[in-house]
Amino acid sequence: MKRSKFLLSVLLVACLVMAVGMPAYAAKVIKIGVIGPMKFVQGKGHWNGAIMAQEEINARGGLWVGKKKLKVELVKADSNEFLSMTDATNAMELAITRHKVDFLVGGFRTEAVLAMQDIAMDYKKIFIGCGAAHPELCIRVAKDYKRYKYFFRGTPFNSRYLVKVCFIHMGTVGAILKKALNIPKVKVAIVAEKAVWVDPMIAAAKGFIPKMGMEVAGVWRPSPVATDVTAELSAIQRAGAHMIFTTFSSSVGIPFARQAGELKIPAAQVGINVEAQKDGFWEATEGKGNYVMTMNTYARGVERNELEKRFVEAYIKRFGEMPTYTADTYAAIIYGLAPTIEEAGSLDADKIVAILENREYAVPSGIVGYMKDAQGRHLHDLKFGPRYLTSLGTQWQDGKLVAVWPYRWKPSKEAPEITYKGIVPYKIAPWIIEEHKK
Amino acid sequence: MGMLSFYLRKLIIIFKGEVLVLPSRVVVFLFFLVLLFLPVVTQDPYLLRILILTSIFAILAASWDLLSGFTGQMNFGHALFFGVGAYSSALLNLHVHIPPWGSIPIGALAAVLAGLIIGIPCLRLKGTYLALTTLAFPIILMGVVFAIPDITGGELGVSGLDRLSRSRLTDYYVSVVLMLGLCTVMWKITDSNTGIIFHAIREDEVAVRTAGINTTRYKLLAFSLSGFFAGISGGLYAHFMRIAGPSTLEVSMSFTVVIWAVFGGIVTIYGPIGAVFILFPLLEFFRFWPEFRMLMFAVVILLILLYMPDGLLPWVRDKIEKECPRCKIRNVATRKTCRVCTAELD
Repeated sequence: MKRSKFLLSVLLVACLVMAVGMPAYAAKVIKIGVIGPMKFVQGKGHWNGAIMAQEEINARGGLWVGKKKLKVELVKADSNEFLSMTDATNAMELAITRHKVDFLVGGFRTEAVLAMQDIAMDYKKIFIGCGAAHPELCIRVAKDYKRYKYFFRGTPFNSRYLVKVCFIHMGTVGAILKKALNIPKVKVAIVAEKAVWVDPMIAAAKGFIPKMGMEVAGVWRPSPVATDVTAELSAIQRAGAHMIFTTFSSSVGIPFARQAGELKIPAAQVGINVEAQKDGFWEATEGKGNYVMTMNTYARGVERNELEKRFVEAYIKRFGEMPTYTADTYAAIIYGLAPTIEEAGSLDADKIVAILENREYAVPSGIVGYMKDAQGRHLHDLKFGPRYLTSLGTQWQDGKLVAVWPYRWKPSKEAPEITYKGIVPYKIAPWIIEEHKK
Repeated sequence: MGMLSFYLRKLIIIFKGEVLVLPSRVVVFLFFLVLLFLPVVTQDPYLLRILILTSIFAILAASWDLLSGFTGQMNFGHALFFGVGAYSSALLNLHVHIPPWGSIPIGALAAVLAGLIIGIPCLRLKGTYLALTTLAFPIILMGVVFAIPDITGGELGVSGLDRLSRSRLTDYYVSVVLMLGLCTVMWKITDSNTGIIFHAIREDEVAVRTAGINTTRYKLLAFSLSGFFAGISGGLYAHFMRIAGPSTLEVSMSFTVVIWAVFGGIVTIYGPIGAVFILFPLLEFFRFWPEFRMLMFAVVILLILLYMPDGLLPWVRDKIEKECPRCKIRNVATRKTCRVCTAELD
């Protein structure tokens, strides 16, 4: 009797172990931590992009890791990095040590990403940065490859190229104005919000504009939250500017565009206006933001490759808005990580790094390739250029945000002209034409 | 051997007579014990990280109490000391290659200098005017940080610093032991003659001056001492995070310190420490509901301040202990008579 009771107990314990253990074994998944300021638009972009990638991967049954097919599970980590850097690093450590994530994507504020990068590297976790543009993040990879090799830039390309693209846009629009309006020397007003990140751009613009055969009409620095910029606009008009080089990441982008439209300031707006990248810009400016041009990542109707239209349409259908560049967590997971994991047949970070850093692959915004520095050291930074990533120049044309650059763009004298499918010609505002006909 | 047993017996007698007689002292003893022996139970890196940062911020909060609570010099720009300590340690470590054990104290001395620099112009100011003036200093320093990015790293800060130590466990012990030690020193300062003068300056500066005490010197001393302890916490933070950036100087950092101190109970030293040990881990705990994390945090603070306006810890202490009306000695709340003078307690 005693013996049978003992056997029964052993059987029950065995069943219990099987019941608890088997699902755990079966439930082995690939955990990807999505870290970002989740209460802000940047973090929402991170999360939305990652969700789309997860659903797409899991819909096809998961990823082959060796002989096993594993599903993807996302771990949402709110870094709160705009308000607290300490919070950001805690979120990173929590995701790695408690949630046991295998990979990480996201990050936005450079200071916080630098600290988060160190934590990810401590645990040898692959971290694809999808927000911070500062070159320092990738310079670290070259300087100390053994430690920082697990970091890759996912989006955007580094800030030096962001500035370069802005100047290309300025040069392009300057040439159009010169030709169409017969202006001997284009005058450019530099208008940048009072923010630290803008200072180097102003210095660069002041030095570069004369080299492009144009003239600086002056520099204006409205508050990032200004609601009235008529004084600046009047001064710009008096200075005889033909073009306004804007650098706005904050709400001032709306009143500036609206009031410039209301006053019919005869100068074309080019540069960065983050508010003008959003769908709600037209309503916010009551249509007065017509003809404003800004650098952008995505635009409706553009097909740089077969992936772009599919991604943009699916994103709009799912979330009801255009994807921002932080939504490139989608590309980082589905075109960066996923095929590399399958090729490595393992979740081993070293094996994946060795494959990923040598890959070139298509993403919705172009082709991703990773740079090396002048000494041939891996940077894990994104390549910029016609074959790779270029970003877009978008312009509001009668209520629609359309892409206008690259349109017949010649990166060098010998290079062929580049025009992506879906790009339309740039339009000069009618009041600018009228002003110069007088 | 006989000597050892003598001291051991003496220790036990002191422990029984001085510690076990009051619940608040038992709590402090347990606090020391738990912090020092926690790694025996768990070495979870996330938990240790939270406790390291909590310890660092506890030093900062207590240093604010020393200046603003005890001396009444309302400082709304305490991030200045923290930032100066962090940046100085970081720059010394990165450019002069001074290891953390050297760069942190030197950074703290730089914060003392900052304390003197802001203390001197603020000597004539009081209350709201002093608070607003001190608020401006970290903002000015942040402007300087952005103005000379070649030295300060601008918006990126100074990164790639040496770690506090080679392991998380050692980091933990360095931070916790320093916190316990420095906070004990701060508490002893407030309990000393100097502390009594600080207290008196806050209550009635004119009366203190008429007693022949040079209040200017004592106020500068308060600024310097507070700057030193806050500078230590800034240096520890920079080496633990391996970066000293503009976030160390942000206005939100200054106000967070004030919130901690007021929540815990000012003019206590232990209040701000307790508050940091409650609020910082609590904010992490609230990650289970990320959408309402900050809201829940705010509600907790509001409720505490609504029902316990003198702060949480003094409120708790008053519930479990009573002060003798005759000899002012504290007794456990259940006692009917004073443990020293036997006077009636109710």
